[in-house]
Amino acid sequence: MTTATTSPADRLVPGPRALAGSGLDTVRRHPLLVVLALMVLVFQLTTGSFLDGGNLRGIATDAATLTLVAVPLALLVISGYLDLSVGSTVALGGLVAGWLAGQQHLSPVVAVLGALVVGAAVGAVNGILCCYLGLSSFIVTLGMLTAVRGLAQQLFPLPLSGFGSGFAWLGGSRIAGIDAPVVIALLVLVAGALFLALTPAGRHVFAIGVNREAAHLSGISVRRTPFALFVVTSVAAALAGAIKASVLDSAVAGTSGAGFELTVLTAVLLGGVALTGGSGSVFGVLLGVLFLGCLQNGLTLLNVPTFWQQMAQGIALAAGAALAYFGPRLTR
Amino acid sequence: MTGKTGMAEPNLRIRGLSKSFGGVRALDRVDLTVPAGQVHALLGHNGAGKSTLIKCLGGAFPPDAGTIEVGGSSHTRLSPRESIAAGVAIIFQTLSVVDSLTVAENIFLGQEWTKYGRIDRRAQEDVAAGLLQRVAANCSPRDRVGELPMGQRQLVEIAKALSRSASVLVLDEPTAALSGAESDALAERVEDLRTQGLAIVYVTHLLAEVERLADTVTVLRDGRVTHQSEVSGRSRQELVDAIVGPAPPVSPGTTTRAPARSDAPRPVCLTVDGLRGPGFGPVDVDVAEGEIVGLFGLIGSGRTRVLETLFGRRRASGGTVRVKGRAVEATRPADALAAGIALVPADRRRQGLFPVLSAQDNALLPAIRPLARRGVRALRAERRIFGALCEAVGLRPARPGLPAAAFSGGNQQKLVLGRWINEAHHVDVLLLDEPTQGVDVGARQEIYQVVSSLAAQGGTAVLFASSDPEEVVALAHRCLIVSAGRITGELSGAELTEAALLSAVHDPAPATSEGAA
Repeated sequence: MTTATTSPADRLVPGPRALAGSGLDTVRRHPLLVVLALMVLVFQLTTGSFLDGGNLRGIATDAATLTLVAVPLALLVISGYLDLSVGSTVALGGLVAGWLAGQQHLSPVVAVLGALVVGAAVGAVNGILCCYLGLSSFIVTLGMLTAVRGLAQQLFPLPLSGFGSGFAWLGGSRIAGIDAPVVIALLVLVAGALFLALTPAGRHVFAIGVNREAAHLSGISVRRTPFALFVVTSVAAALAGAIKASVLDSAVAGTSGAGFELTVLTAVLLGGVALTGGSGSVFGVLLGVLFLGCLQNGLTLLNVPTFWQQMAQGIALAAGAALAYFGPRLTR
Repeated sequence: MTGKTGMAEPNLRIRGLSKSFGGVRALDRVDLTVPAGQVHALLGHNGAGKSTLIKCLGGAFPPDAGTIEVGGSSHTRLSPRESIAAGVAIIFQTLSVVDSLTVAENIFLGQEWTKYGRIDRRAQEDVAAGLLQRVAANCSPRDRVGELPMGQRQLVEIAKALSRSASVLVLDEPTAALSGAESDALAERVEDLRTQGLAIVYVTHLLAEVERLADTVTVLRDGRVTHQSEVSGRSRQELVDAIVGPAPPVSPGTTTRAPARSDAPRPVCLTVDGLRGPGFGPVDVDVAEGEIVGLFGLIGSGRTRVLETLFGRRRASGGTVRVKGRAVEATRPADALAAGIALVPADRRRQGLFPVLSAQDNALLPAIRPLARRGVRALRAERRIFGALCEAVGLRPARPGLPAAAFSGGNQQKLVLGRWINEAHHVDVLLLDEPTQGVDVGARQEIYQVVSSLAAQGGTAVLFASSDPEEVVALAHRCLIVSAGRITGELSGAELTEAALLSAVHDPAPATSEGAA
C-alpha cells in the first residue's frame, strides 16, 4: 500500500522524460528495490504474518518520522552538507511541544508551532555557521548534537508525560484511514520530489553539491538554498519529535531521539544519496527508509535480539555502499 | 655524494617519441638529446606538445612509441617511480611541496631517514642544510615551506631533486610565478647546476631566457620538432619563425576574424578606468559594442585577475567599471551578471563544469530561475532553448540528458559558453579566459565562429585572455599586451601578427601603450 502511493513521486524525480521506459531503468538506478522485494518475500515466508495489514501499518508509522527527516536531510546532503544534530533536535522538539501542551495547557496547534520555531532556531544556527561562515558542517552539527542535547536536559531535567487528548491527535488520529504521521510523511515525500524536479532551487541544490565554485560563478546564490535546507531539516526533526512525543505520550531529555541522527543518515545513504554531494533522489530515500523499517520489523517478528538487529543494520549500510558502487557495473 | 656526474655519454636521449590522444598526435617522433652539463631549452606554443613530452618523461603517460634513455639505461615506458629512480626530476609550475611541512621534511618526504624506527630529524636537517647551500637557498631546514616566498619554495624542490641524486632536471616555465629578482637568482642556480654536471631541460616562453641560459634549443609545433640547434649564433627571428610556422596559419580569406571594425566607430560598451587589485593595475580598457579585444600575456601576467575582478570574483582595490555608461560595482558574480557581464573561466573542471549533471542543466543552469513561472520550472521552454543552443554552437552529441563528463573538451566548453549566449540571457560584455584551453582544433574553430558572430550580430563586447598567439590573431580585432599586471602595448589591424605578439612579450620595453581614447 505504501509503495503504490509513492510511484508518482518516483516519476517526478527524474523529470517527465523518464515516463518512457521507467521500469527497468528504475531498477538499475535503485538496486535496493530488488533487495527490498526479496527481503519482504523472505520475511513473509518465514513469519507468515509480515504482510498483514496491522503489521504493515506498524512499519509505516515507524517509517513515517524517519521519512519526515530523511527527505530534507537528503536534499541537504545532495547540496554538499551534513546534519548530525537531528537526534537532539527531535528530543528538544518533543519536549517543547509536550511541555506547551501538557504543562502550559496550550492548544496542540500552538504546542506544535512552538516546537517548529525551536527547530527553526537550531537549523538557523547550523546554517549560519556552515553556509555563511564556511565552517565544516560535520564539525558544526556534531557539536550541535551535544549542545542541543545538553540544552534539552538543562531545560527539562525531568521526564514529561500526560500531554492530553488533544495532543495525542497528532500521532494517533487517522485521515481517510491512514495514520496522521504517515499522511505527513507522504506529503513530505511528494513535496521533496516536486522540489527537486520542478523548482529552480531544486536544480541549484544539485549544482551546488557537484561544483560549488562553478555554481557561484554561474550567479547562483550558493549560501541561501543550503541555509534554507538546514532550517527545514531541523524544523522537520522538531516535528518528528512532537509526533513521537504524541505517540508515546512522553518525552525524556536524555533518551528521546538518541541515535536517530545515525539511523536517518543510514536511510539516506542506503537510498543512494552520495555523501560527497551532487546526486540522489527522493525515491531512493523512500527505499532506504522502507528497507530499514522492514528489516527491523521482520527481525523483531522473528524474535531476533536487538543487538543482532543493530548489527544487521550496520552490515546493511556497508552492503548498501558496496551495492551502490558495484550494482551499476553489474547491470551494464 | 653527488652521484654520477659529467660523462661523455649524453645523460638524456629521447628517440622517436610519439604519443596520440584519441587520434590527435600530441608528439610525433620527437628526438632530443641533452648531454650532462648542458641546458636544453624547449620552446613552443601552448598545445605544441611540451607538456606531453615532460609527462612522458616523468612517467605520467606511457608513450606510444620511442625510447627514453637516462644515464645509459633505455626505457620504452616509465612509471613515475621508475622515472625518479632513473634520475629524472621534474619541477612543475605548480610545485609539489607540502606547505605545512618544514623544508627538511619536504626534501626527505617519502625517503625519510630513520634511527631506531623514528625519523632522524637532526641528520635530515644537516643533509638538508648542505643541499640548500648547493642551490644557494637562504632558508633554514626548519622553516615551514608555506611561509617561504615562491622562489625559495622552488629551490626547496630543486634541493629535493638533488637529494634523490637526479641527473636530469626538467624545469617547466620556472620563472612564470617569480618576481624579476627571483628569476635572476634562479638563472644563477641553473648555471651552477649545469657546472655541477646535471642535464637540464628548460621549458619556457621567453626567448630572452633561452639566449641567456641555454646551450641548445628545440622548438616543437603540433607535436613535431621544427627546429633544433645550438643557441649561440641564432637570431631571435629564426626561433620566432620556428614557433609560429612557415605560413600564417589563418589566411586573410577565412571568415574567423569578422570584419566588425567598420570605419564608423561603434559606441563604447565596456569602460574600465584605473582598475587595480592585488597583483595588477592600474588597467584601462575600452571595448566597443561588437568588438573583440584580446589580453595577451604569459601565465602569471595578471590577465586572469583582471577578468575575475571585472566579474566580481575578486575585489578591486580601486578604479571604475562601466557597462554602457552605467557604473558597475560587482562584489559577487551575481552582481556582475545582473549588470550584463559574464565570464567563461579558464579552469573548466574546477570552475566551469558540473560533470555528473546533464548537458542541459550545465548549459541552462543560470537560466532556470529567470525562465520559471511562479516558482515552477518552465521545462518546455528549457528544452526548446537548449535545442536552439545546440544548433547555434554545434554541440555533439546534441543529447540533453547526457552527463557533461561524457562530452569532449570542446563540447564541454560549448556547454559552459552556452550558459551566457542563449536567448534566456542577455549579455552585454562577455569575458573569456583561455577560451579554447584543452579544446581540439575543430571545436576551436567553431568556438571562434560562435564568439565572432555573437559580437557581429548581437553587438556584444568581448574581452578575452589568452597565452596563445595563434588564438589572438584568429579571434581578436585588437590586442592589449599584459605584462606584470599592466598593459604594456597594443596591436591591431595589420600589426596584429603572431610574430609581433611574441616579440612584444619577450621585450617588454617597446611600444608603450597610448591611453586609447
